[in-house]
Amino acid sequence: MTVLSASFYYMAAASVVSALLAVTRRDPVHSMLWVLVLFLHVAGIFLLLGAEFLAAVQVIVYAGAILIFYLFVVMLLDLPDERARPRFGNHWPFAVGAGLSFVALAWVGRSAVPASLGAGTIPAIEGTARGAAPMGSLSEIGMALFGPFTLPFEIASLVLLAAIIGAVVLVRKRATGS
Amino acid sequence: MMVPVGTVLGLSAILFGIGVFGFLARRNIILMLVSIEVMLNAVNLSLVGFSRHLEDPRGQILALFVIAVAAAEAAIGLGLVIALNRNRPGMGVADLKELKW
Repeated sequence: MTVLSASFYYMAAASVVSALLAVTRRDPVHSMLWVLVLFLHVAGIFLLLGAEFLAAVQVIVYAGAILIFYLFVVMLLDLPDERARPRFGNHWPFAVGAGLSFVALAWVGRSAVPASLGAGTIPAIEGTARGAAPMGSLSEIGMALFGPFTLPFEIASLVLLAAIIGAVVLVRKRATGS
Repeated sequence: MMVPVGTVLGLSAILFGIGVFGFLARRNIILMLVSIEVMLNAVNLSLVGFSRHLEDPRGQILALFVIAVAAAEAAIGLGLVIALNRNRPGMGVADLKELKW
């Protein structure tokens, strides 16, 4: 087992453990911090899989922006009786069953993928030794984003604009007397 | 690195199952939204695994769009949480029995 695959298995185990802790902690702030650990480990897996740009976006956007936004909201809203509440609803065994059945379904689907797709191993990262830009590099992602994916890229910007306007409209205080 | 692609997909399946469990079992709106983020991250992981395996950067671009949609979802979802909290303090979904106030 090489160092790279050992670090992959470490990150896989750590992300599963931190995800489990994130959905079971009682204090919302602790949950957020475990989700932060999960996102950083997933970014490490992205790095091992050769998606350097996506790993950077994961750290900057997910861990840096989205999760800090969640933490802001948790700390902004005073939740005095949150620790006294039960963590799970009474139906939590059904939720466990749903989660496990989803894992089982995905596992069955994983073994059902064609042999040409599922049997192989992920090839080693060649690094920048070869002449062409490595897959997942910033230049290749950028060329694809501004080439064949221009329309989805622009639509993503429209989605973000709609989200900004929607958030402002939702959170704005209504004029008194209306 | 010689990790089988099935390992990445299995890890993605496990993370998605944890997210489903968290979304269904938690009684706190913010933690339900965070469970959705865990599920989206699991999907990103499988997209990147396929992209690596098929030597095709399109999977990574799809994952990038998933991250953009997740950012929009977080903004709208937390805006709704703040608007709900202004009308009725508390984060439990069991308290939200009426849609009109």
